[in-house]
Amino acid sequence: MDLITSWIGNIPEFAVPFALAALGLIITEKSGVLALGAEGLMLVGAVAGIGAYLTFEQNAIALIMAMMAASVVSLLFALMVLVMRINQVISGLVLVFFCQGLSTLVGTLMGWTNQPVPGLHAIALWPLSELPYVGRFFVQNIVVYLTPVIFLVTVWALYRSTPGLRLRAVGENPQASDAAGIPVLGYRLAAIVVGAALIGLAGAFISVLSTKLWIANMTGGRGWIAVALVIFARWSPWKALAGAVLFGCIEALIPQLAASGIKLSQYFVFMAPYAITLGVMIWVAASKRDTSSQPADLGTPFIREERT
Amino acid sequence: MRNLVLSACLALASFFGLANTAAAEGLTLDGPPKVAMLYISPTNDGGWTQAFDEARQRLEDELDIRIRYVESVPESASAIRPAVERFIQRGANIIIGTAFGYSDTFKSLSEEYPDVAFLNGSGTTNGPNLLSFYGRTYESQYLCGMAAGAASETGKLGFVAANPFGQVNWTINAYAMGAREMNPDATVTVVYTGAWNDPTKERSATQALIDQGADVIGQHVDTPTPQLVAQENGVYGTGHHRDFREFAPEATVCSSVWVWDRFLKAELEKIIAGNWVPRENGALLSMEEGGTDIACCGPNISEDEEARIMAAREKLMNGELDVYAGPLSDQDGNVRAAAGESIPDGELWQMDWFVDGVITQQ
Repeated sequence: MDLITSWIGNIPEFAVPFALAALGLIITEKSGVLALGAEGLMLVGAVAGIGAYLTFEQNAIALIMAMMAASVVSLLFALMVLVMRINQVISGLVLVFFCQGLSTLVGTLMGWTNQPVPGLHAIALWPLSELPYVGRFFVQNIVVYLTPVIFLVTVWALYRSTPGLRLRAVGENPQASDAAGIPVLGYRLAAIVVGAALIGLAGAFISVLSTKLWIANMTGGRGWIAVALVIFARWSPWKALAGAVLFGCIEALIPQLAASGIKLSQYFVFMAPYAITLGVMIWVAASKRDTSSQPADLGTPFIREERT
Repeated sequence: MRNLVLSACLALASFFGLANTAAAEGLTLDGPPKVAMLYISPTNDGGWTQAFDEARQRLEDELDIRIRYVESVPESASAIRPAVERFIQRGANIIIGTAFGYSDTFKSLSEEYPDVAFLNGSGTTNGPNLLSFYGRTYESQYLCGMAAGAASETGKLGFVAANPFGQVNWTINAYAMGAREMNPDATVTVVYTGAWNDPTKERSATQALIDQGADVIGQHVDTPTPQLVAQENGVYGTGHHRDFREFAPEATVCSSVWVWDRFLKAELEKIIAGNWVPRENGALLSMEEGGTDIACCGPNISEDEEARIMAAREKLMNGELDVYAGPLSDQDGNVRAAAGESIPDGELWQMDWFVDGVITQQ
């Protein structure tokens, strides 16, 4: 009883960063830019969020500054892949290493390590919060409730609006889009910057709202899990949200099992999220459905004069 | 011709020089002591490295020397080697490292620079001029376990730990034994997070323990997160590395703290005096020698209970109390130390068993 209540109540803490980061990655990758830098941008968001909170003592400002900081850093990535046309895999990896160094340097120099912040008050969604077992799922901070709204808006924008259609066209066939008069690099730049803002928000959620303190490299590989989630979800936002919740369920269950003293090797439990990802990816590959859902031009630099 | 004579003289001189050092037993520094330290993380990390930096400042005052340092040296040879070699080029003759991952590089550097004294906190390698040292954290954590047992109303204690290694398991067992000293029915439920520095996992582990009824949270991870969560929930906790009352003054009843300067002062004085022979198997420091101590006591500990904890501390300090003295059995009934014996250090490092009262997934 306690185990289930406590477990379900803790799922959003883990699921929301995965979901927001995966959504940011989907926006960027739908435009045809392969984005592997999520781990780095989350670290930037995490440190910027804490720094802004410690300076201004306003959660809203902290989250907005974190999104802006990640967007600004992503301009560097945009410069590398759009203007200089450097290999997108390498650029993404370089971005991660750069952000690890940058966030550690800034946070350490400013003395933001281990400074507790209060976070946001949890809001109980009555009467859902009174339900047995699942009640605590509906006692969360405002950003948790906003996450499905952000998904709704993004899905609408991607699939129901003209700019969204153009963005996806750029990711599928940039030459045709270019011929139709769509500014390919402009759309890709916008996709990188907007995606980075969401990834930065995911990082700030971890530092400002969930953990409520900052230490160097605190995201602990969650950005990489988001990258895997996007592949796992075949670039579909709703599947990514479902995957994030699945990961959140597993991550939240691990400490609950240990705290209840249930005998189950912890190495098996630590492995479980990755084993499940692997299993689902194999299943997706074997079922041969949805294989066309990957943006056709993903990872290819756009050169206007080049006709294929 | 003159060159030949000169080089012959030099060769002869160096031969005698070598013969001289070989004849002497230990290491004697060439000049005045110049100490340099390498930190694994930034000096304001709130834990492990900050404790070393505080020790460095006290050492500077007490020994009246200047100690240089470099921060955030990762555990890879390509980062450690240039830092150490630059210090040596600038005349440093005592190098102090602070990480398990420096062990191998320090070993090879100590062979290349036989005139330099090397010390490494939490290292595993030793040599004629290399000494690894670590604290018997189970002594201070035994005392924190006593404080936890005293502060707890329910007798259910939680413990957030990193990985099930020997030096983590020995703190858990000692914690449980200390708690049972104050409350014979106390239990310690352990959650391993699998990481030293993942505050997100530490937070959910602590919350899970509190949801399951634990009202004092011990820890052997690096961040103060478990103490912060305990304070948010209105329960108590015990810290590790430094006095965590800094972060959670209403929750932290006791902290296991590092007091490296107590050990390093004595060891540096030995090195400076000359003819230094490091301990062959490294220095596993008891509280008496100055590895660990406690910062005690916080809220919900009565004066009487505090007096009992301090009396136990006194006994650990003068060697009357050995936490791992027999008779001692694990929870499966295997005898780990017979009466009148105590567990040797080698077996302590490999501890993979738990005493009665510890609840784990292992």
